[in-house]
Amino acid sequence: MENNLFKISLLSLLITLATGCADDGDTGQAGPQGTAGQAGADGQDGQDGADGQDGATGTSGNTAVYTVQITNLTYSQTFSGAAVIMHEPGYNTFMEGQSASVALEQLAEGGNPMLIIDEASIQTQFLDAISTGGAIPGRSKGEVSTLVVPELDTDNLRLSIATMLVDTNDAFTGLNAADISNMEVGESKSFMAPSWDSGTEANLETADTMPGPAAGAAGGGGAAAGFDATRDDLFDRVRIHSGATTNANAGDPSMEGLATSVLTEAHRWDNPTSKIIVSRTR
Amino acid sequence: MNKRQLASIALLTAATWNTASAEIIDISITNLTHAMSFTPRLVVAHDNTIDLFEPGVEASTPLAWLAEAGVIDDAQSADSAGQNFEWMLGPTDNDNTTNTWHRFGGLVTPSTTLSYPFDTMDKTYLSLLTMLIPTNDAFAGLDSIVIPIEPGTYTYVLHAYDAGTELNDELNSTRTDIVEQGGAALGGYGLPGVAGVGASTVPLGTGGTGVAVTVGFDQDGNAIGANEVVDGTDGPVHIHRNILGDTDLTAGASDLQSTAHRWLNPVARVTITVPAP
Repeated sequence: MENNLFKISLLSLLITLATGCADDGDTGQAGPQGTAGQAGADGQDGQDGADGQDGATGTSGNTAVYTVQITNLTYSQTFSGAAVIMHEPGYNTFMEGQSASVALEQLAEGGNPMLIIDEASIQTQFLDAISTGGAIPGRSKGEVSTLVVPELDTDNLRLSIATMLVDTNDAFTGLNAADISNMEVGESKSFMAPSWDSGTEANLETADTMPGPAAGAAGGGGAAAGFDATRDDLFDRVRIHSGATTNANAGDPSMEGLATSVLTEAHRWDNPTSKIIVSRTR
Repeated sequence: MNKRQLASIALLTAATWNTASAEIIDISITNLTHAMSFTPRLVVAHDNTIDLFEPGVEASTPLAWLAEAGVIDDAQSADSAGQNFEWMLGPTDNDNTTNTWHRFGGLVTPSTTLSYPFDTMDKTYLSLLTMLIPTNDAFAGLDSIVIPIEPGTYTYVLHAYDAGTELNDELNSTRTDIVEQGGAALGGYGLPGVAGVGASTVPLGTGGTGVAVTVGFDQDGNAIGANEVVDGTDGPVHIHRNILGDTDLTAGASDLQSTAHRWLNPVARVTITVPAP
């Protein structure tokens, strides 16, 4: 049986071959292959993948949560948005008696807190930071900010804050690495802070050198009158601010006031300038 | 003497040496003002019988010498002998039982820091005084803080006080067109005019008519010689109300500059470092 099947197959093959070999003249030989066509346009990018799921909530005790609130104690010096930074010891936004960083100059002259936060965030001591959104008018409390740091760092924790007095050339208030170590949940601490002079700009008190509303009312103010990279103060070093001279009594025989100042006696202040309340909520 | 006794003595010696070394603290002072300089610093470690100044109480003569002229000891001014802090406290760098003190020389100019080692000789309290120049009688004071013992760094802020021993006329003491009532030239202790004019980081004027007292009038407003000014007093030691100054170097009330010479407290920061034993 197997032999017979093999024979039949062989026969079929022979018939097929015989057919293929036949040349009846109807078809010519195939032509040469054409050149390859141009590459097609790239396809569209695929859609983004779906967001991953949120991580599991950490067990309480791994993170500590703090709230920070700034009170403006002055009569009418508005505070700019503030840089609020929590960190380990070893980082300082500024040092009294030393020249200010450009980031601090941006805050003290123009009221921009973002560069200080950028500068802080690349330090090894950095833990968390926030820039408060709104300005804080004189005699009022600012918004409450929330910061989160690892529980492990609560035993040696520092708080730094910087906010500009916007109707000045380069005055700022805040905290310089204030010690807030070992606060219990529910505990609050408050600090009274002076105002510093960043030492980066002469205190001319003119409309074209200050960003705040007093300068604005005199036809200046705004960003254009804020940051200026030139350092033209008596000493290029951070110190306690000596206060605004203002134009009060400029026409008085005492000649005490500064006639070219756009500030009035209402823009004066004394220390402390700000109060900072920090509370641990978790 | 056996070996055990020898060992005990060695141990005692070591213990004594450790205590002695811990008395040396490092004191640094930073000038936080805009344009005031600090005269040589008087640093005193003392017990509770010494009080260099007390707000609300009349200044002592030694304090008046320091606040009006920056003078602490005879070496600075022979005229102050018998009236200065050296006379009050005893010899310098010596254990005077109630105190030990040292004058740290040189000016601390605005925004600068100086630091020094100081042997407290185991006293309990520390006080520090320095005059602000150019002023009539302003000084910065650290008042009897308890000297820390635990190794570490401790910071204190200092405020500016008015000694109350001289009216704050804010007149340039190098002027010769004005004299004290009676004819004496303006100057340091016991005379009108601000001290330390030459050390000012910004120039003083020369045309001021006087601030807390006016040239040509006494303290009660009665006319005196047209080119005369009185020395006067303004009460017990108090927080200084700051200088007034003005914006014209040849006119106005003051010979100080309102845009530069003013300050707000604190005027100085003192940092004490207690070294590890």
